[in-house]
Amino acid sequence: MSKRLLNALEYPQADSLNLNDPLTFKKIVVWLESNKIKNAPANTFNALKNINSREWDIVYDKYKDSLGCPALGSRVEELQWLLGHAVQITSSLNRNLYLKYATENMETSNVPVIVAENPLDKLNFRSKEFTDGINDLAKILKIVPHPDPLVTLRAVRKLITKRMAPDCVENPQKYIVNGTPYPIQEAPLGFDLHDPVLNNAANILRMLYIHDLRELQTKANELIVAAQSVTANPKTDTKLGKVGF
Amino acid sequence: MADEFTEEELVLPQCKYEYLDHTADVQLHAWGDSLKEAFEQCGIAMYGYMTELDTVEIKQCSDIEATGHDLESLLFHFLDELLFLFSCEPFLICSKVTITEFVTEGEELRIKCKCYGEEFTLGKHPQGTEVKAITYSAMQIVNEPEKNRFEVFVIIDI
Amino acid sequence: MVVRQYQEELQYLEKISPYSWRIKKGFQPNMNVEGIFYVNQKLEKLMLDELRNACRPGMVGGFLPGVKQIANVAALPGIVGRSVGLPDVHSGYGFAIGNMAAFDVNNPESIVSPGGVGFDINCGVRLLRTNLFEQDVMPVKEHLAQSLFDHIPVGVGSKGIIPMNAKDLEEALEMGMDWSLREGYIWAEDKEHCEEYGRMLNADPAKVSMRAKKRGLPQLGTLGAGNHYAEIQVVDEIFDKWSACKMGIEEKGQICVMIHSGSRGFGHQVATDALVQMEKAMKRDNIETNDRQLACARINSAEGQDYLKSMAAAANFAWVNRSSMTFLSRQAFAKQFHMTPDDLDMHVIYDVSHNIAKVEEHIVDGKPKTLLVHRKGSTRAFPPHHPLIPVDYQVTGQPVLIGGTMGTCSYVLTGTEQGMLETFGSTCHGAGRALSRAKSRRNLDYTDVLRKLEYMGISIRVASPKLVMEEAPESYKNVTDVVDTCHAAGISKKCIKLRPIAVIKG
Repeated sequence: MSKRLLNALEYPQADSLNLNDPLTFKKIVVWLESNKIKNAPANTFNALKNINSREWDIVYDKYKDSLGCPALGSRVEELQWLLGHAVQITSSLNRNLYLKYATENMETSNVPVIVAENPLDKLNFRSKEFTDGINDLAKILKIVPHPDPLVTLRAVRKLITKRMAPDCVENPQKYIVNGTPYPIQEAPLGFDLHDPVLNNAANILRMLYIHDLRELQTKANELIVAAQSVTANPKTDTKLGKVGF
Repeated sequence: MADEFTEEELVLPQCKYEYLDHTADVQLHAWGDSLKEAFEQCGIAMYGYMTELDTVEIKQCSDIEATGHDLESLLFHFLDELLFLFSCEPFLICSKVTITEFVTEGEELRIKCKCYGEEFTLGKHPQGTEVKAITYSAMQIVNEPEKNRFEVFVIIDI
Repeated sequence: MVVRQYQEELQYLEKISPYSWRIKKGFQPNMNVEGIFYVNQKLEKLMLDELRNACRPGMVGGFLPGVKQIANVAALPGIVGRSVGLPDVHSGYGFAIGNMAAFDVNNPESIVSPGGVGFDINCGVRLLRTNLFEQDVMPVKEHLAQSLFDHIPVGVGSKGIIPMNAKDLEEALEMGMDWSLREGYIWAEDKEHCEEYGRMLNADPAKVSMRAKKRGLPQLGTLGAGNHYAEIQVVDEIFDKWSACKMGIEEKGQICVMIHSGSRGFGHQVATDALVQMEKAMKRDNIETNDRQLACARINSAEGQDYLKSMAAAANFAWVNRSSMTFLSRQAFAKQFHMTPDDLDMHVIYDVSHNIAKVEEHIVDGKPKTLLVHRKGSTRAFPPHHPLIPVDYQVTGQPVLIGGTMGTCSYVLTGTEQGMLETFGSTCHGAGRALSRAKSRRNLDYTDVLRKLEYMGISIRVASPKLVMEEAPESYKNVTDVVDTCHAAGISKKCIKLRPIAVIKG
C-alpha cells in the first residue's frame, strides 16, 4: 500500500525500496517535505535534511506532531500516514483540474461556466486552529473525534442538520427513532472472513447498507402513497355476492 | 329462464356412482348400462360433490358440446365443460345431464349434451367442496359391451 | 412403474442423516439426479407405509406413492441438484405435493411442468399482525368471527363483492398487487412485504384463455373452499425473539390474522389449459417422462413460454385475491373495534407462495446458474441478506408462513443459509394430508369435530359441514412434526408458533 502511494506521488524507484530500512525512511520523509508537504519552517527542514544527525529522531517527532499525525505504533504506520497526508495535499492542489476532467463529459461546449467560489474553500483545514475548533465542537456534541478533522466535521454536520433543526428541538419525539435494538453481533453475516475484526467491520457495513436501503424503500412507499391520493377509490358491493349466513 | 320441461325431462336418473379414496383429491367412480350412461353419471357425480343434489330443482337447461381425440380426452373435456357451466354464467348446478349425441368412433369423438338444473344459489344449495380441475390421473374407462360392463374412474382435483 | 418387492425397493433408499433419506438412481428408470426427502421418525413411517402399500400384490393402476413421484421428477430433462421432498410430502398430480425441483434455464432440453406448480397457482399464505392481545379479543371473539364471515365470501359458488369488470380483470392480471394499490385496497407497505413485491413482471393476460378469465372474474376476492381459510390466531410461543421482533411480534398473546388462498378458478383453468397444450408439445418434441401426468414442455418452446406468462398472470390474480381479502379483514376488524386498521397496526408481516415456478439465481457446484425452480406445496425460504427479500428481513432471513389445518397451530419460520445450499432455498408448506378425503368422511362425524374445536376454544364459521370432516386435524400430518423436521434438518428455523381462536372456511 505504501509503495502504491509512493508511486502515485512519483517517488523515484518506489518499487525497489526497502521501507523497513531507517535510512530509506529518513530519505522519504525529507523528500515528502521538500516536494509535497512543504509545511516545515526553514530550521526544522534543515535539521530534517541532516539525516545522519543523532538529533534526527527528536526533530522528526516534533515535525510529525506539527502535521497532526496521531500517535501510531511504528515507523511504518507513520510513513503510511505521512504518505496519505501528502496525497491529500497534492490532490487538493489539483482539485480544479480533476473536477474539470470529471465534469468534462457532462458539459456542452457553449454553456457559460460559472465557477462557484465557496469562501469555506479558502479555509486551511489542516491548521491547528481549525482542528482544535472542530474537536471542541465535537466534544460539546458528544461525538468521538476522528483523526481527520474533516471527517469529524461531517459527523458534526449530520448531527446538527438531523437533530438540531428547530422543529426537531421542539418535538424531539417525532425524530427519535423508536426501534428495539437488535444484537447485530449475533446476526448471521452470510460469509466468514476468518478474522473477527474484519467480520465485525463487514457486519457494520451491512447494517449501514440496510439502513440506506430502508430509507430508499420508505421514499418509494411515500411516492406510492402520494400516487394513491389521486387514484384510490376502493369500494365493495354486497349485492354482487352473498357473505355470511 | 322460463323453460318448459316435459315430465320425462324432470325425472331424475338413478344414482350409479360413488366416491373412492385418494389422499388429497377424490376419485369418481360411475357406471351404467351403456358408456353413455356411465359418462352422464360421472357428470352428476361431480355436481354431487359440490352440493346436495336433492336441493336442486330443474328450472333451466343449457346445451354443451365437447370433443376429444380418444375416449379419455372426450371424458376429460366433457367434465371440463360441465365444470365451466357451474363456474361462471349461468352458474348452473345440474341434477340431470342427458347426452343427446355420443360419437365414440372416427377422427374426432363428440358429445352433445343437455344439462338440467338451476343457478347455484347460496342459502338454497348447501356448499359442498369446490372442484378445481379434472385430471387424467389414473383415469380408467371400462368399455366392454360383450360383458355389459361400462365404468369410468376419474380423479378430480379439489 | 418398476414392480418390485418392498424389501427390494428399500435397497434404493438410504438414510443419510437423522432427518433425511437419499433416493438412489435406479429407484425409477432414467433418473438424471438423485432424490432426497426430509422426515423425522413419525413422518418416515408414514412415507414408507405409503410405499409398502403400493408394493402389495394386486395394486395396479392405483396411485403412485410420493417417494416414487419424487424419483420420477428426478428423471425429467434438465433437472439439476436433486429432486427434493419436504417433510409434508404426499402423493399428488404428477409431482408429489411438497416437491421442489430446479431446471437449468440455459440447457435447451430443460422443461417447465404445470404439474410442478399445481392447479392452484400461487396458492399461498398471508399473515397480518395487530396490536391487539388475546384479552382484547376474547370477549368479542364470536362477533369477530361472524364479522369476518360477513365480510369475506367463502365456499363453493361464492362470488366476490369488489366490483370488477373485464377491463379491471385484464389490468389486475398484468399489475398484480400494483392494481390493488392503485385502486386503494391495500397499503404501500403490503407490497413491500410480499414475495416478488406482489407482481410477476412477465405476466401476459393475452396468453390466457377466455375460459380462464370467465371463471376468474366472479371469483376474484373470494376465499374458496378445500383447505383454504382465514383464521384469527394468537401468538402461542416465540422461539426467536429478535426475528419475531423484526416482524412486529413482541409478546405471546398478540393477535394475528392468517389468510390462506390462491388463484381460484382462474388458476385452475390456466393449469388445465396448459396441460392440454403440453400433451401435444411432448409428442412433437419427443419428451419422454416416466408418468403421463408429468406433462411438460421445453422452457424455451412456445408452449413453455406461454405457460410461464399465463402462470404469472394467475400468480398476480392470487395476489390481488389475497389483497382484496386483506382489505375485507381490515374492514371487519375496524368495525368491530371502532378503530382504523392503521391504529390497529394491521400490517402484512409477509405473504408467501407455495405453488409456483420462478426463475432464480443459485450456486450449483460452485458456479452461479439461472434456474427455473418449481415449488409445489413448498415455500421459498431465502437466507439473511438475500437481495430478493424485503429490507426489514435482511438480517432475519425471509419469513416463511406455514399454515396449519383447521384447529391446529401455524408457524412462522425463517430461511437459512443451509436451506439455500441444500434445497435451493425451499422448505415445507403446511401439514400435508395423511387420511384421504373419503376416509375422513367415513371415519369422522362432523358434530364431533365441531364439538372438539369448541372444546379447544375455537370459534368456527364454515360453509360446508362435509368439509369440516375432510379438513379435520385428524386427516392431516401433524404440522408440528413437519416444522420440527425442517428446523432440525436446518433448512429453515422456527420463529413463532400461532394458535387459532377463530376459523372461517369454505
